[in-house]
Amino acid sequence: MAKLWTVIKREFLERVRTKWFIIVTIFGPIFFGVIMVLPAYLSVRSMKDAKVGDIRILDATGIDLGDRVATRLGGGPMGDLSTTQVVIVAPEKLAAAESLATRDVMDRVKRGYLVLDSLTVQEQKASYAGRNASSINEMQVIEQALRSAILGQRLEREGLDPQRVEKLTRVKVSMNAERITDKGRGGSGIGSAIFGFLIAFLLYMMIVLYGQNILRGVLEEKTTRVAEVIVSSVSTDILLAGKVIGVGAVGLLQQVVWLLSAVLFYHFRAPIFTKLGIPPSVEIPLPQVPPMLIAALVLFFILGYGLYAALFAAVGAMVSSQEDANQAAQPVVMLLVFSIIFAQPVMMNPTSRLAEIASWIPFSAPVIMPIRMSSISIPWYELAATITGVAVTMAICVWLSARIYRVGLLMYGKRPSMRELARWIKQA
Amino acid sequence: MTALALELRGITKQFAGTVAVRDLSLDVPRGAVYGLLGPNGAGKTTTIRMILNVIAPDSGSITVLGAPHTSPGLLDRLGYLPEERGLYKKMQVRRLLRFLAELKGVNAKTANRRIDEWLERLSLRSAEKDWGNAKVDELSRGMQQKVQFIGTLLHEPDVVILDEPFSGLDPINAQALKDTVVELKRRDKTIVFSTHLMDNAERLCDSVCIIARGGKVVDGTVADVKSAHHRRSVALSLAGAPTDATAAVLADRTLVDKMDDNNRYFEIELATGGDPQRLLQRLVHAGADVQRFELIQPSLHQIFLDRVGARGVEEGMSGHG
Repeated sequence: MAKLWTVIKREFLERVRTKWFIIVTIFGPIFFGVIMVLPAYLSVRSMKDAKVGDIRILDATGIDLGDRVATRLGGGPMGDLSTTQVVIVAPEKLAAAESLATRDVMDRVKRGYLVLDSLTVQEQKASYAGRNASSINEMQVIEQALRSAILGQRLEREGLDPQRVEKLTRVKVSMNAERITDKGRGGSGIGSAIFGFLIAFLLYMMIVLYGQNILRGVLEEKTTRVAEVIVSSVSTDILLAGKVIGVGAVGLLQQVVWLLSAVLFYHFRAPIFTKLGIPPSVEIPLPQVPPMLIAALVLFFILGYGLYAALFAAVGAMVSSQEDANQAAQPVVMLLVFSIIFAQPVMMNPTSRLAEIASWIPFSAPVIMPIRMSSISIPWYELAATITGVAVTMAICVWLSARIYRVGLLMYGKRPSMRELARWIKQA
Repeated sequence: MTALALELRGITKQFAGTVAVRDLSLDVPRGAVYGLLGPNGAGKTTTIRMILNVIAPDSGSITVLGAPHTSPGLLDRLGYLPEERGLYKKMQVRRLLRFLAELKGVNAKTANRRIDEWLERLSLRSAEKDWGNAKVDELSRGMQQKVQFIGTLLHEPDVVILDEPFSGLDPINAQALKDTVVELKRRDKTIVFSTHLMDNAERLCDSVCIIARGGKVVDGTVADVKSAHHRRSVALSLAGAPTDATAAVLADRTLVDKMDDNNRYFEIELATGGDPQRLLQRLVHAGADVQRFELIQPSLHQIFLDRVGARGVEEGMSGHG
């Protein structure tokens, strides 16, 4: 046991000491933080710059609907109307006005133009053309303004006082979406789906990065021939176990640092958002994660990592050069890539047959099951069966790998064929 | 407590149909310097790996320091320098050595003290430069070899096993290694080394075992092996060319088996049962003017060539392992 600890310590410390580990661990959260905050920041900024109002309204309704839209785009009757230009057009001259407006947009006089005509009044149909037509946020703002303008116009027609109309139609709604499962209400729907995806992706990354790391470690011991010195002191089983646990601990440490920085970021989001000029009302939905789910996630995490770590170690012991390693690792990498390919369809439709099957197969379960678990509730027996399946598969893989490792570590030369591999497993 | 450091009984090991070691039995006395001699591919490394329990023999038993070689904790009393040397390149020398020592059950504090002693002793540490703080790949090849010796000896093993220790060593390191072996012997440690360089073995070993093609050819103390070698040689110098009477004596097949005739200088291999004293009497009696008559012990190299045959050596030269 003391020797196992010695091996774990070396594997852990030698990796944690590298520059790369420090860079990735510290700058990872900053990078992810920037990626998360940047879109919100940019969209808020572009809205605040009042570019949305910088359009021309071609009003052929004959009932001043254009002015109403402009008022609402400008932020109410007191708002800045200078950027929105309303042009009253006779219906028969609309086509000419549109082509003029198109040229102006091309010449960057205006960002776009909104066409209002009799159809707008009767069937609530309008059209917009402009440089920002693909921005969902900006189109929503214009749509809202138009909606509110039509509503106001109708209410006034019914005889309401324009000022009262203004007050009544100015409604700001914020909706909190909550998910209901078999166990009742629980957390935000989108939030938990994203959470599940995040966990799955983290596990996938951890397996890819640290699984390959194990492969490289084994290969290094083989090519530098250190392996021979070490196995004259400890058994290959201890060396393999120490390597898998030590490298796993490095990955775990990295994840803990990342999670902690995410929690810290969430805790101090208000001052950060204010600094960036994002209204604090922009909520990041935080899912409520029941402890059972966390326990299952940790289990999947450990089992999935152990399963793939063993496979990568076996690959490392099989080969004698980096080129061979890349080739021999391909089947293992394929298994992983399959899991992550299914991740998105499963997230979209966690009750589908594909999702069910992918979450049962031991090789993809550690990545797929967390996604399903966090968006729908899985019966406990299904969960238990899946975890057992992964655990048994891991045990088999570890057993096979330990045997391949024992023989392969001191074998040099060409990569073994499947038949030779079978003999290694038998003779070890 | 037995007097044997290592005891191998009927060890056999096959790899994919080829026999690497065949029914090998060895006795290595405690405190001896023991040479495992043989051409490349003779099964030396395989034998050593079986002693270290890195691979298991197909049959036979191995006893190390009086206990079965699989006994727990036994590996901590063995030190091993493999033929193919290598270290973790990116590791700091001191940390690497501490790691190797801890793998052998030495605690960190003791390890640190011994590491400093050894680094100083092999001049890897001085007032101006301490290579212990450098990374392995910053060291020259020679220095890396020194670090590897230190790693082999840090836990003060009772039995030190060196596989082809002299291959690839520069003369200075080779000398340092020889000094270390002598020093270890003085401290009653057992040293087993494998080599195909007979000169080194002859100078260092108390006992040897010559193996070829997986099997034992001969073993015992160096003196025993030499005297048991049936060909005893005589170097003979005459003052003038041999007379007919002298030539007749030398042609006597009951005395002389083979002779390398250089006119006035002869290398004579005595026939089985041929007595050198009788040969000398006969020569003097025949009136030969003997300037030199010396019984020559065959070198290990000679025995090796005779017993294994030049073919075995040739095969070994081209083969590997």
